[in-house]
Amino acid sequence: MRTEYLIVLGAILLFPLVLSFIMPLKLYARWRAMVLSMGLVCIPYWTWDAIVTARGHWSFNPSYVLGITFLGMPVEEWLFFIVITFVSIFTYEAVRFVVGRRTRQ
Amino acid sequence: MREYTVLAVVSVLLAILLDRRLRTRVLQKVEFWIAACVMIFFKIPSNGYLTGRPIVLYDPDHLMGVRLWTIPIEDFFYGFGLITFTIILWEYFLRRKGAL
Repeated sequence: MRTEYLIVLGAILLFPLVLSFIMPLKLYARWRAMVLSMGLVCIPYWTWDAIVTARGHWSFNPSYVLGITFLGMPVEEWLFFIVITFVSIFTYEAVRFVVGRRTRQ
Repeated sequence: MREYTVLAVVSVLLAILLDRRLRTRVLQKVEFWIAACVMIFFKIPSNGYLTGRPIVLYDPDHLMGVRLWTIPIEDFFYGFGLITFTIILWEYFLRRKGAL
């Protein structure tokens, strides 16, 4: 199925995205820090990925990607870094929230 | 040369250096290590699917060939570097909140 890589990304993102609205983390209030940190990680990782994809470190199975590419990489691979950086920030803030609430009790 | 092996390890070293340079001390926070363990736990099924199907194919010339299930060991360094950089910069920009 050509949507499989996209489905994997959706599966990774689903619970963190839903929980980020349910838990009182107020990530939206810190969107500038979020955009900056995600952007400053994505740019070098996109660059690294595009270079080494061209060098043949890895390749993407055409059976499982949509077929839309940019600089030699499937659109799913570009989205991968946006998903993972968001999930990283969410997970860290969720852990801080849970640990912080426990220590205050 | 096993370029992926080298680059993955270098990315982790650079993250450690950045944490020191920006004085974010992320690597000294227990919350960071809990979050990292949670993400590594969920990484195994998702990365396992990507490498097992396989959706992503690796050139054996650029890695060591050591795998946990289907996941090349380099992917664990790569992933750790990626999440560590993100959380370091997140902490850094939160601290500079007044300036944003």
